[in-house]
Amino acid sequence: MFSTCSDGRPFQSFSTNLEDFDSIRSVLLYSDLEPEWLDDVQKNGQLFYLELSDGEEEALLAQVSANHSAATNHVRFSEKEAEIITDNAKRQANSSNKSEAKLKKLTKILRRKRRPSQRKAEGKDSSQRPASILKNQAGQRPGVVVQQQRLKDVCVYLNPKRLSSVSSSSADRGGLLEALLGVVHRPGGNTGKRGGKLIIHGLIPHSPASKCAEILIGDALVAVDDVEVTSENIERVLSCIPGPMQVRLTLETVCPAGVSPESKVSASPQVSQLVRLLWGEDTIELQMSIADVPHIAMFLSLRLDSETQQDEQEIVYQYPQSEASAQLKAVRGIFLTLCDMLENVTGGQIISSSLWLQQQLVHVGYWKEESNLLVIAVPASRVPLLYLQTVIEGVVRTLKVMYGSLDRGFSDVENAPRLDHFFCLFFQQLIQPSRLIHSSRTPDLYGSLFLDGLPAVRWLTLPPDIKVEVDTVLSDFESSDFGDMSEDFYGMRRLYVILGSCLFYKGYLIANHLPKEDLLDVCLYCQHYCLLPLASEQRVAQLVVWREVFPQRRETRNSTAHPGYCQPHARHFLLIVGLRHFMQCVLLEAGGCASSAVGRPTPDSVYVDQVKATLLQLESLDAGIEERLSAPPTPCLSCADWFLPAGGRSQQDTIGSSPILNRLTAAIKPPSPGGIGRSLFGEAGTVGIRGRRASPQRSQSDSGSEGHADGTPASVARRDSLGSGGSDGSLGSAGFLKMPRLKHPNPFYLGSLRKSLSERETEEMQNVLQVTAGVENTLFHYVLMESVQGIFIAPTHTEIRHLSGSIHPQLIHNFQHCCLSIRQAFQQSLPTRDRRGPERQSTAGLGPVKEHGVLFQCKPQNWTDQKKPAPTMTYWVIGRMLLEPVPQEFYVCFHDSVAEVPVEMAFRLSFGLAV
Amino acid sequence: MLQAETLQLLCLTASSGVPLFSRGSSKQLPFSVIGSLNGVHMFGAGHGAQLSSCETDRGSRVVWGVFQDSLMLIAVSGSGGSSISQLQLRRLLENVWNCMVLVLGQDELSSIRNVERLKRELRSCYRLIDMLLERVNDEEGFMGDLTQCTDCLLPSHSGLLLQEAVDSFAQATESEFGCLLLNGRVARATEKWWSRLTPQEVVVLSVLVRSLADASSCDYPVFLPKGSPTVAIRLLSFQLLPGVHVCVLCGPKPSLHNASELISRFWSTLVENLRTCLEQAKRSSLPPSVSLRWDVQALLLINCDSRRALTVCPRVRVGAPAEDTPPLISTARRLELLRLFYVFAVTRYFTSQESTASDFAQGFTHVPVQCYLVTDECKCFGLQSPQHQLFLLMDPSVPTFALRTVATQTLSAITSATGF
Repeated sequence: MFSTCSDGRPFQSFSTNLEDFDSIRSVLLYSDLEPEWLDDVQKNGQLFYLELSDGEEEALLAQVSANHSAATNHVRFSEKEAEIITDNAKRQANSSNKSEAKLKKLTKILRRKRRPSQRKAEGKDSSQRPASILKNQAGQRPGVVVQQQRLKDVCVYLNPKRLSSVSSSSADRGGLLEALLGVVHRPGGNTGKRGGKLIIHGLIPHSPASKCAEILIGDALVAVDDVEVTSENIERVLSCIPGPMQVRLTLETVCPAGVSPESKVSASPQVSQLVRLLWGEDTIELQMSIADVPHIAMFLSLRLDSETQQDEQEIVYQYPQSEASAQLKAVRGIFLTLCDMLENVTGGQIISSSLWLQQQLVHVGYWKEESNLLVIAVPASRVPLLYLQTVIEGVVRTLKVMYGSLDRGFSDVENAPRLDHFFCLFFQQLIQPSRLIHSSRTPDLYGSLFLDGLPAVRWLTLPPDIKVEVDTVLSDFESSDFGDMSEDFYGMRRLYVILGSCLFYKGYLIANHLPKEDLLDVCLYCQHYCLLPLASEQRVAQLVVWREVFPQRRETRNSTAHPGYCQPHARHFLLIVGLRHFMQCVLLEAGGCASSAVGRPTPDSVYVDQVKATLLQLESLDAGIEERLSAPPTPCLSCADWFLPAGGRSQQDTIGSSPILNRLTAAIKPPSPGGIGRSLFGEAGTVGIRGRRASPQRSQSDSGSEGHADGTPASVARRDSLGSGGSDGSLGSAGFLKMPRLKHPNPFYLGSLRKSLSERETEEMQNVLQVTAGVENTLFHYVLMESVQGIFIAPTHTEIRHLSGSIHPQLIHNFQHCCLSIRQAFQQSLPTRDRRGPERQSTAGLGPVKEHGVLFQCKPQNWTDQKKPAPTMTYWVIGRMLLEPVPQEFYVCFHDSVAEVPVEMAFRLSFGLAV
Repeated sequence: MLQAETLQLLCLTASSGVPLFSRGSSKQLPFSVIGSLNGVHMFGAGHGAQLSSCETDRGSRVVWGVFQDSLMLIAVSGSGGSSISQLQLRRLLENVWNCMVLVLGQDELSSIRNVERLKRELRSCYRLIDMLLERVNDEEGFMGDLTQCTDCLLPSHSGLLLQEAVDSFAQATESEFGCLLLNGRVARATEKWWSRLTPQEVVVLSVLVRSLADASSCDYPVFLPKGSPTVAIRLLSFQLLPGVHVCVLCGPKPSLHNASELISRFWSTLVENLRTCLEQAKRSSLPPSVSLRWDVQALLLINCDSRRALTVCPRVRVGAPAEDTPPLISTARRLELLRLFYVFAVTRYFTSQESTASDFAQGFTHVPVQCYLVTDECKCFGLQSPQHQLFLLMDPSVPTFALRTVATQTLSAITSATGF
């Protein structure tokens, strides 16, 4: 895995890095700053600390501000508190300039990230804004607006860790209310007649309260997270906030009739559901939203004590407690009986059953271990039966990694809340993944089912120089040569041996120094806690996870595999540290040659700091990796939409939505029989004129189309700048329409792949060669899994995003759905290593499946032209399993027009991807 | 413990759980097992959860089915080399129910007055049920029970002559439904036979006729499960030659005696024709005019409109280019593979009839039209057009990229030559 750097070139840049490293190390060592996560360490030594980066927090808050643009000026005019307003207004006057500039920047970021649905919500909100303005000017229209007292909920993000930065004097004066929340409350005066109520007399600029824009002066704070507060207990309540989190303030406000408070609540943005879930907050609401979907996880004991006739004594653990699950819980007798009876009757273990519940088919998966039975039920619409087994196996393995065995995990009452959290995440990911992960990558259930189910991790190939550097930094860390910080230095036995580590960047694995099985264990944990998608967004200021794990490879002691060698009796710990887009997972061993761990060790800050230092050191490579991510895809990909002549509707639909699409429709328009060249040219021209306003790159596409129309071979660079991917595509499709299909295009661009990324310079010079190939490119999507290393390669999210279109996302969805079936066919036919008991004799059914393909036909949706039949596009989804020379699995999706010989060839050549 | 490769069918009353019968190749399951199999279903139904099926890691399956709220059928398949798919078991339950209706009528089954009497009456269905159980792993190439299509045969020459004879014979017996069966497969039938009878009815009717194969003529009251589940009509069946039957569905007239007199009038002239057809049918269900490629191992062609199915499983290779071509896999294995591939394709990709579209197939955003599978033993290709479904088993020596061409050629060769 670790490639030797023979040319020495990387070392130069590296040595400077090392110096940086030393400085970081010493800073970390000699600063006796207490780590932020220290308070979050639980009794059992485990730690899950997640802190959003400042930019992210503010971005979230700015979202509110963007909705109510005049955030800081939101002051309600009221005769009683006139003097406060003037006081406040003065403060705002000098602060607004600064904050506005900041806001502009943030909102710009947000605009890019916001999804259409949110945009809609925002639009709705802005239309209601006049109402809120009216409210402020209520005095001008007396009699029209009826004022009424009502309660409203406001979510505010608070970070007590920042308190230290606030000057102590202000904290003294106003207490936590002022320092943490930014709410000014002056006791005395008119508060007496309101009876200890916390009237908000003022807001401190830039404080959470003022930024959220929904806390108005004159409101009364009634409750914090449903805890009633008065002027007496508020300090105590606020001091209980342990770490950065979102709290819900209940305020009593005077609200004009006609403005429904609900619309305000829905408009108030929240820290992404995933983060809140990981923080362990607000699981109720998410749970409620899927309460009507029947699902349950139960751990049942098969050993029934007939003497103590207690109700529900066989349920060791159960999640969730909702109504739909109550029905499933009520029929647990079925599960127990079936498990017992089928073993007696057929000699096999039950693995699944299906039942109809409220006109909904529900699949139930079983896992029997010793005298316990794990039962997980999910609706058939979420998990197809043929993949249920894989999902269950994933859960079981994750639980085993976390707790050693199912029995140990479930029988410990202490674990119950943690397991609740675990299964909450599990079901949320299965049932409503879109609510969890708000991001530009479209969460696709089948996609995540398929990719998560692969016994592999998504890998990102890096240019060799970066790769070498990353590996060197990792190895350096793994040598645990921490200088005067290591235990060696003090003549102690070292606490932990670093078994290996792996490094993720934006959710892609970029370096791995762990054995495959350990990697999979670690990855399962990360997947389950959604750490990979989390890191792919600029979210993480700091992530520290520490827990004891039970790597499956080490747990199942197999002395026959390596005679004479046995694994040391050791305990293992997983340390995950995330900084911005980087995330490093380290597997530590205590015992063996390190000192054995006693009790429940808490994370050792030296190790955490060392990982952090490693990550800080790696940050310099950020740019290089980003460049790789934004590089044009290798192998080249085509967008499905390019192969379909666009209907009449697409022109109107796509205008303004995406410049790439605009260009596409222009180029794809079926040429009229009269003058192909002319019409193509004309179309492209008009679009170009329209488009020039939006994007200067448009002109490039024009020239491309023009060149084509004139009949000259297209000679525009295939791989030019990032943004012009679309214009390449339009070129390709234009060429496709004109050229006979029977040319034998090679869909896989083995050539381009062979050229490694480091040779990008030379590659750019060969652009002319690339173009001819690019015109005929018919590859839509691919997944390549290397079973030995436990990694898979698929087009990156950036690459997929560039191929935007209406049909392409459908195609990818379809591809992944189909891959579920293909992979299951492979799995089914493999001589199964029986998970319990003796191996199963002879493969049944169809026998070993080596290759399986499905041809799909798609038509553009809402085809408007009645006269002509809708054009169809057909494409193959093919999976192939290779056992020789190295076990691999491929899944490819390409256009039907490919002559099929190269497909075979391509399979055999296995992409030539050197991993 | 249930032996491998066995299949048990249990029938109980749905309300009280009284066992009515149990059929299957192996020893009957102990009463306690039958009781708990029924019990779990009843328990679930009481809690609003309708248990439908379950599966073990060794491929055994249990499928439950309640019909008309009166009878519960349970199929239990043992673990073993070739596991029986859920679709097959589900279809088996439906077919068994249809057989019971065919013989006893729906009224008798849906309102049980006397359990003991019903038990006795159900004995008359045993023969049919046993045939259905055997057909799950049938070696003669009957697929109708699985595909819900009529197993057909395409007689070579004199097709028109036979058609005329069937039509006029049916007319003479004042019936609209008449058909000619060769070795249990429908060779010719009247137009109404295809259009008015549901495929399920045709499947059980052909099983019934086959079970009566020894009789030279018979007059059997039948209830059509869909067409007339409560009113019995008459099935008249005559053996023209060993293996050749003609049957009609008719009302009170004519009497068996009168009808058998008509037989000689319409069919005596065609005996030689029938004999040659029978000879040819023994070799292949395709007319000799259609020549298949030598490397086709087996095929199943379904006409989706008329719900007819054609199974071809050549016994010997014809026209293999070299002598050293490996011999064909055994017929039984090829038919098993064909059946497995059909189930594989239909449950995952192709939308077959009415209700069988599985949840998985509905998850696709685009329409699957073809699929192929490469295994060690053979290569399978499935193809779906608006009118036909073709499932093809090829030699492993055929290059994968050629499969599609072979399949489309085979389809067009058969349909153009026979108008299937």
